[in-house]
Amino acid sequence: MELNQVSFHYPSHETILHAFSARVAPGKIISIIGPNGAGKSTILKLMTRILTPSSGIITLGGQPLTAFSQKQLAQKVAIVSQQNPLYDEMKVIDVVKTGRLVYHNLLETIPDREVFKYLALTNLTQLAQRPITSLSGGQQQRVWLAAALAQEPEYLLLDEPTTYLDIHYQQDLMMILRQLHADHSISIILVLHDINQAFRISDELWMIKNGRLVANGSPASCYDQQLLADVFETNIQIISIPGYGRYIVELPPKEPNRRND
Amino acid sequence: MRSAKGWYFLVIGLLIIAISLGLMLGVTFISVRQMIDAFSGRNPNQASIILTIRAPRIAASLLCGAMLATAGAISQSAFRNLLADPSILGVSSAANLFVSLGLMLLPGITGGKFWWSLAGGCFALCFLISPRILRDPYRLMIVGVILMLTFSGVQQLFSTGAGSVSGSFNGITWNTVFFLVIVGTSGLLAAVVISPWANYLKLSGEQLKTKGVSALLMRLGLLAVMVYLSAGVTAAVGVIPFVGIVVVNIARYLVGRDYTTLMPMAMLLGALVMLVIDTLGRLIVLPSELPAATLMTVIGGPFLILLLQRKRFNGTKSG
Repeated sequence: MELNQVSFHYPSHETILHAFSARVAPGKIISIIGPNGAGKSTILKLMTRILTPSSGIITLGGQPLTAFSQKQLAQKVAIVSQQNPLYDEMKVIDVVKTGRLVYHNLLETIPDREVFKYLALTNLTQLAQRPITSLSGGQQQRVWLAAALAQEPEYLLLDEPTTYLDIHYQQDLMMILRQLHADHSISIILVLHDINQAFRISDELWMIKNGRLVANGSPASCYDQQLLADVFETNIQIISIPGYGRYIVELPPKEPNRRND
Repeated sequence: MRSAKGWYFLVIGLLIIAISLGLMLGVTFISVRQMIDAFSGRNPNQASIILTIRAPRIAASLLCGAMLATAGAISQSAFRNLLADPSILGVSSAANLFVSLGLMLLPGITGGKFWWSLAGGCFALCFLISPRILRDPYRLMIVGVILMLTFSGVQQLFSTGAGSVSGSFNGITWNTVFFLVIVGTSGLLAAVVISPWANYLKLSGEQLKTKGVSALLMRLGLLAVMVYLSAGVTAAVGVIPFVGIVVVNIARYLVGRDYTTLMPMAMLLGALVMLVIDTLGRLIVLPSELPAATLMTVIGGPFLILLLQRKRFNGTKSG
């Protein structure tokens, strides 16, 4: 998948994304990082055609996204959104089944056995018959992930999948993603708030600020104190933790007017 | 009792009892024995009461109940609002108004009632399916109630007009039953076939789009069946309010929120409730009777208020 000079703005609003170009190498894990409002989620929404670029073009396998029907696109690209409103109670298995809609016509009944695999992949088999609202935040997140996996996508997009999760669930989710990546070699594109998580899990980072790609490259090449400080507009220090590796710490902003003597 | 199957058996059992009672009770009581006598030719008078008065009436109320409850369930899924019902949203009253107007302006067209009714239902729907209203459940209810009041207000201007129907099963003929059988079975069948759509619509439009399906298409499909069913009932017997809300919410309580099991339960329960209401209406003020619409309003109103008082009821979830 390739984004070529893609810009986006809502009608009569200021531009969110400025001539953004980047390429998703097949089978890579890419994290998009940057401050709030930088346009990270917008990129994911453009890739799934929830939004349409104001200018520029996104191609998938050499063809523009617009050449695909929504259903064809959904067979290749799946997204786990940050917010997943449900208007009424649904069972876990039924939510996961909606992912299979991309391989069925709307009048077909989707058999349970089609989704067992994805329930197992996300450790939800025991919870399959439970109503989704009875689940914890982390479990719910896994349900939406399972629904996206049921689309059997080549590209899996996740918008801040760990934001509302405690550390245990975060690690849980990251482990599932790694496993998926290893077993199925799908490309995973994440929007992450936790910089260190992004550095740890990704093959490549896209750093975004004010709708522009500021830097991209392997995590090793992005451990740049000045670059990170510029992107996040805060004091950054990279420290080394034995048994973990390099760790990015945000320091409180300097307050030049106050003297500590 | 948490098993859906158990509730199905219970409701079917009650339906059989209600049908038997409906055949027996009335101005003249006809026992099972008398019924056998009547049909073996010994009492043609009573046979005629059963065949020309009670049986068509029972058949009509069963069909109308099932149709209205299903229309209610569909409407609640398509509008994502557990209070949405064709009678509250003005769909039924618009249908009723169009029937009156149609019969007044073009009385010659045979079988025109249903088409006028359908046109009326679609007319009301046009006001309801704007994106702004669909996004905001409160706006939907307010606009719906305004439409309902407006259409029934205009209706009253013509209430002396020919063919204005009363929401009663009194005087139903086999002709009307035949019409209901055709519209009812086709509409109910369609509802069962597309009931999974009602489940899919629990997801947001954006979610559905990323699964490659169009929420708009499913909504329009469901609403078309909803208008078809409620227009059928309105053309046959007039407006009977609240069935969709009362019955469907009870059904939801019994068998859960999956529309593929909820829809058939709503049909059975709707048929049962409508038959019981109509039979009661025939009996409580003998030798006169109360229209089903009146009784349904008297029962449905308080039920609705009780429902809204419940803490856990979240009928108008926005989002």
